[in-house]
Amino acid sequence: MSEATAKRHMGLKASRAVTNTAIHVLLIVISIIWLIPFVCIVLQSFRVENSGQVGYVLPKVWGTDNYVNLFQTDFPRWYTNTFIAAIITAILQTVIVLCMSYTLSRFRFKMRQPLMKFMLILGMFPGMLSMIILYRVLKDLGLTQENATPGLILVYVASSGMGYYVSKGFFDTIPMSLDEAARIDGATRAQILYKIILPLSKPIVIYTVLTAFMGPWGDYVFARYIAFGASAGKNVAVGLYDWLSKDQISNNYTMFCAGGVLVALPVTILFMFLQKYYVEGVTGGAVKG
Amino acid sequence: MAQLSDLEYLRLSKGAKFGYKLGRFFTGIPKGIGHFFLKIGQGLKKGAMAVGREVSDIVSTFVHGDWKTKLSFFIMGFGSIARGQILRGLLFLLFEIVFIGYMIMSGGYWLSMLPSLGKVGPSKTYNEDLDVFVTTYNDNSFQILLYGVLTIFFILAFIYTWRVNVRQNKMSEMILASGKKLKSGREDLHSIVDDQFHKTLLALPMTGIIIFTMLPILFMILVAFTNYDGTHNGYTNSLFTWVGLDNFNTMFSWTGGAGGTQSYAATFFEVLLWTLIWAFFATFTNYFLGMFVAMAINKKGIKFKKGWRTILVLTIAIPQFISLLYVSKMFAKNGIINGFLLDMGWISEAIDFFGDASRPWLARVTVILINIWIGIPYLMLITTGILMNIPADLYESAKIDGASGWKQYTKITLPYMLFVTGPYLLTSFTGNMNNFNVIYLLTAGAPTNAAASSASGSVGYTDLLITWLFKITTGAESKYYMASVIGILVFVVVALISLIVYNLMPSIKNEEDFR
Amino acid sequence: MASVKLTDVKKIYDNKVTAVHDFNLEIKDKEFVVFVGPSGCGKSTTLRMIAGLEDISGGTLEIDGEVVNDLQPKDRDIAMVFQNYALYPHMTVYDNIAFSLRLKKVPEDEVYERVTNAAQILGITEYLTRKPRALSGGQRQRVAIGRAMVRNAKVFLMDEPLSNLDAKLRNQMRAEIILLRQKLDTTFIYVTHDQTEAMTLGDRIVIMKDGYIEQVGTPQEVFDTPVNLFVAGFIGSPQMNFLKAKLVQEGTGYSVEILGAKIPLNEDQVSVLSRKNIRSQEIILGVRPEHTTVLFEKAEGAIECTIDVNEMMGSELHLHLSSANDDKIIVRLPTVDLTKEQRNSLAYGNKMYITFPAKVMHLFDPETERSLIDG
Repeated sequence: MSEATAKRHMGLKASRAVTNTAIHVLLIVISIIWLIPFVCIVLQSFRVENSGQVGYVLPKVWGTDNYVNLFQTDFPRWYTNTFIAAIITAILQTVIVLCMSYTLSRFRFKMRQPLMKFMLILGMFPGMLSMIILYRVLKDLGLTQENATPGLILVYVASSGMGYYVSKGFFDTIPMSLDEAARIDGATRAQILYKIILPLSKPIVIYTVLTAFMGPWGDYVFARYIAFGASAGKNVAVGLYDWLSKDQISNNYTMFCAGGVLVALPVTILFMFLQKYYVEGVTGGAVKG
Repeated sequence: MAQLSDLEYLRLSKGAKFGYKLGRFFTGIPKGIGHFFLKIGQGLKKGAMAVGREVSDIVSTFVHGDWKTKLSFFIMGFGSIARGQILRGLLFLLFEIVFIGYMIMSGGYWLSMLPSLGKVGPSKTYNEDLDVFVTTYNDNSFQILLYGVLTIFFILAFIYTWRVNVRQNKMSEMILASGKKLKSGREDLHSIVDDQFHKTLLALPMTGIIIFTMLPILFMILVAFTNYDGTHNGYTNSLFTWVGLDNFNTMFSWTGGAGGTQSYAATFFEVLLWTLIWAFFATFTNYFLGMFVAMAINKKGIKFKKGWRTILVLTIAIPQFISLLYVSKMFAKNGIINGFLLDMGWISEAIDFFGDASRPWLARVTVILINIWIGIPYLMLITTGILMNIPADLYESAKIDGASGWKQYTKITLPYMLFVTGPYLLTSFTGNMNNFNVIYLLTAGAPTNAAASSASGSVGYTDLLITWLFKITTGAESKYYMASVIGILVFVVVALISLIVYNLMPSIKNEEDFR
Repeated sequence: MASVKLTDVKKIYDNKVTAVHDFNLEIKDKEFVVFVGPSGCGKSTTLRMIAGLEDISGGTLEIDGEVVNDLQPKDRDIAMVFQNYALYPHMTVYDNIAFSLRLKKVPEDEVYERVTNAAQILGITEYLTRKPRALSGGQRQRVAIGRAMVRNAKVFLMDEPLSNLDAKLRNQMRAEIILLRQKLDTTFIYVTHDQTEAMTLGDRIVIMKDGYIEQVGTPQEVFDTPVNLFVAGFIGSPQMNFLKAKLVQEGTGYSVEILGAKIPLNEDQVSVLSRKNIRSQEIILGVRPEHTTVLFEKAEGAIECTIDVNEMMGSELHLHLSSANDDKIIVRLPTVDLTKEQRNSLAYGNKMYITFPAKVMHLFDPETERSLIDG
């Protein structure tokens, strides 16, 4: 090897090392930026000396007062509301989404295309528009204010059929010939669904359950509208939001942080275990469009 | 613009090629629109012909049918029962009874009130015994509109069922005539888990969608043609009624109100412009930076790949309202960011990121930047999978052809990604146009746009159409009709963008076919 | 163990495309029939209509004398093997094979009996507890066949079962299907695009193109007496050569003129032609590569050609030649009798001479593409 080529080879190696180091540094910076708010939230939830907003991060006096105080408020009620809504929604929404997506993926019936176009067009209207009427209808049914949670569940579940895209994309990847083989083997359509397709769809079922479970924890608009004014009907998002309003923030800021930590905890833990399926669902869904 | 042959096109310079494509696209638009209307026309013609066919089929069924069939025209399900399909027949009959009962009990009333949305409003009378004013409530516009629409749906459903009933009679006659047997009730029941299983599966989801999504949307579209608002709530204070296109006229009038207030049209286009700018930046900053992060993590020689990904992915798990609310408070005047900057001595006075009406772009840029923080983990996830799917031999052959890293990115990675994620980008763009959470939880629209707020409720510089809509419905005047108009306009904008992009996409596919 | 009868069976898709035109065929009990043709010819669609996986747009389909047009696949008593095997990935081999029996609520003891029996015949006993993922292509194919076998169905349908296998395995499985057929002794309908498979497996071959049946016959019949250009070109490998030629009527006799050579036809051919009252006309002459004789010297009645390509196949050579009027001709030449000089002379650009007797000639009308003699 001549000296010149040796140098060129060295140069390549060295420049690669430099870029890789730079990328590592960058990734560290990114990780810090992404984690900082969450670290701050946790730290501030343990701050005792001042329950309002301050310009520093590390508490001067540490304590669990904020967590204790949470239980003197309506927070446990909000938490229960949200938790119940999340569980029931997760179950029912999964059933509905799977029915919808399985049908649209597997059956070729006359109304299939029109149905999909219909839902596409429906999806272009801002859903918020229907809030006003849904509120009044639910009010007539007695499912608002204190009883907002069942009303909310009804709204979440009823329109969940629209979100069939991701799981339909998954079902589309299961070869049709499996269904056909099963039909020849003597299975009815229903038997095909629960004996062949569902056992093969574990990832997407888990993905659907997970996203359905996460939804109610973050819903603010509908929850606020339907619980209108009644503290007992609020979910965590609405309740905690109010603590940051102008007149409450100076007293409740640290309690908001503590509440936030408690809300994030179950979802994050669940997410950590099921991350793999979430990633699969998201990636598949984006490719299918 | 005239079409060039392939060989002519290849001779063009790079700039000319781009110009040619652009020209072709824009000259194609009128044709596309023409095509669209042509299709609508064809659809209408087809629809009319289909109705004609149906009617003639119904008439011929009646004329040629036996007495069982003829009687079924009036007593639904009679033919089925008479031919031994008891279960089917009873269901038909039950539906007819329920329908007639409903129409007599209340349907007729709702329908008759629909054109006026109620005649008698609430009235106050003085009750001498109690010495108070007592309000008597009468017609309820809201219910009339709602149940009126429902009744129309019910009538349509009845007509459809009646038609099915007629067709079944015809089919049954044909089947019997050919010497075959009709399906028994048992077989009917069995078919709902087999060859009619799709109907069983769709029944529940579609009912939900129709009642909780379609009906409300239809209702709200109708509201845009009424004067339904806080002072005309249709029951307790005053009835509301049809006003035709008045609300649309208000929305598109450029003349401001009394006292020099800004016109609705001016506000609308201002908000729309920002909505589009926001959607564009929110979509593409996230897309490219997310892809960049994914590529950085994917790069050969980077350690802890899984670790970096997990850190980012976990931030997705935390409910947005917590992270967004918290971040918005971090950027508050007395928040951590300002505290940090003041401590470091980089600024001498706290920056009011979201409250400074004199610097609207500060708030806007900050919102876009924070949205990057929200969106990157998600896009990193999506792009990671797709990046790994790009066939390695594409890169290998590019390397052998002498392409640099940047060239590889622009010639292979990017076209591939755009091809695969095209539909996702579109939904992401329209999704961002309606991204209520990020805007509302971060700024709630602040800083206030004083000029725009003068006529049309509170409007801020970071308000999107969707948050403006929300503010109108929850604001003091609750101008529901204006909210409906905005909602319809949002639909129009989203539909237009989708239509254009969809029509554009096949051409992208043809040119850069990676499959 | 049943006959299958198709009468005017049609398939028209929603977009008005007709995939299968009036398909008429009677398949006898225990017969092995192969549908063969290029992709898109409608062979798979026909099979899927018989299976009940596609609706029949017109005509009637009878299995064992019963019209089954409107029956669900499971009620037709058929078994089917799919091209991509269609094994249920989440079930073991045993469960895969047992699936249909369990749906029919067959007692577990009998299920065991029948599954292990089938597994033994197919030589997959040792894989019964594995999942399909852990099997090779050939093993998966056996499982798929096993799944169809245990059902004791009236008709056994196979949709390109070997096309996902590599060449060697394909030959092996082909032999096994012949064995299997002897053991099962039932009616088989087999779809393939590979004419070799069709020739080796079928009692009768149905050659299809663009939704039409081109010819039905035993392998020998379709090879010896193709009724049109398509069948002639499709059956046989390498493909039949097609040459521009002239049919000349002389008194009571006929002969074929090609590039100055004149070949009189034999008695059988002449009698058919004169019965059909055919006059002198342009024709396309078909000759199979294996029916030509290669001469190294010019001779009376031999056609002069130029060598383009010389492919060494081992026991024989495939010579690609061009005639004087630019017809492309392939001939097969056994290597065993060739001298070294002869071999060396088979180089690009050299001249060669070919002859063939009248009895191997196929005469086609250039307009109708139909055979003048057969069919």
